[in-house]
Amino acid sequence: MEKQLAMPRLRPEMTSGVLCAWLKEEGDTVEAGEPLYEVETDKVVNQIEATASGVLKKQLWEEGDQVAPGDPVAILETE
Amino acid sequence: MERKPEWLRVRYNQEAVAEVAQLLGELRLNTVCKEANCPNLGECYRKHTATFMILGSQCTRNCRFCSVTPGHPQPPDPEEPENVAAAAKKLGLRHVVLTCPTRDDLPDGGAEQFAQTVRAIRRACPGATVETLISDMQMNTAALDAVIEARPEVLNHNVETVRALQKAVRPQADYERSLAVLRYCKEKDAALLTKTGFMVGLGETEEQIGELMDDVLAAGCDVLTIGQYLQPSPEHYPLDRYASPEDFARYKAMALDKGFRYVASAPLARSSYKAWEALEGVHDLH
Repeated sequence: MEKQLAMPRLRPEMTSGVLCAWLKEEGDTVEAGEPLYEVETDKVVNQIEATASGVLKKQLWEEGDQVAPGDPVAILETE
Repeated sequence: MERKPEWLRVRYNQEAVAEVAQLLGELRLNTVCKEANCPNLGECYRKHTATFMILGSQCTRNCRFCSVTPGHPQPPDPEEPENVAAAAKKLGLRHVVLTCPTRDDLPDGGAEQFAQTVRAIRRACPGATVETLISDMQMNTAALDAVIEARPEVLNHNVETVRALQKAVRPQADYERSLAVLRYCKEKDAALLTKTGFMVGLGETEEQIGELMDDVLAAGCDVLTIGQYLQPSPEHYPLDRYASPEDFARYKAMALDKGFRYVASAPLARSSYKAWEALEGVHDLH
């Protein structure tokens, strides 16, 4: 089964965040709670944890892209 | 945007954040974690820890380092003390930290709301310790007395930066007044643990940092927190530098050498981050 993971709203007024690095490649196994990608905000770099376990099927954005909160970021193949 | 150094990486778990945010939202409570856009929010909420911001989310001052919204705050919510206590109980907090925006509009600066909230926590959470991270309350001694008489374990008031940068960074505050607050509270109740904190990365020199430590020690301050200034937005006070973890270790050694009873010094150390560790650390010394 496929599951989409969405960009969190890291602060109330956030309109978008820069996805600055992927921490998993397509095909990698991901456990829920493992950091999946990094988003840079004004203060820090946030390592966003996966909210489900599975295999990373698709990275929907490239490093450096601006992503809005709520937008799908990754597709996981879950059991 | 300049690339952030390696040590400014934090973990973020959406479900844990949403869970705590929902609980706080149901009780109409604010946290400084959210209002100040704290980088440790993800870690603390995951551990079911939060720092309550009583007396609303709008501040009557406009310090240039701070991302709390300036504005005209609402009158204090009479149900807030009990709601904070209920949230502290639900979260199972052993050490509850209360802070506030500066309320220059209130005659007592919000002191009575602090006192009532401390007492509500005492009733709801027996055994929990309480830390009040207060504004300078314009050095109104009657207001400070009201907070002290509620007997929090820790009285925290931040000087925020070195003397030379006060006017530029917190124009409506005053270094001497902040020192006076710390000194007064300690003299009033010697058993009260007093605490202050400052940021590095605003343009201060190491010599000025040493002078700040001497000044707050002379005011009787027991506990010191030192953290990296993180510019909340391009409109805020410009960042001068990122201090390295080695710099923070050096500041910590300097502070302990000068005589502080406990020092938290790290890039992401914040005034209330792991605040219970300071209390435990000091009590271990007894």
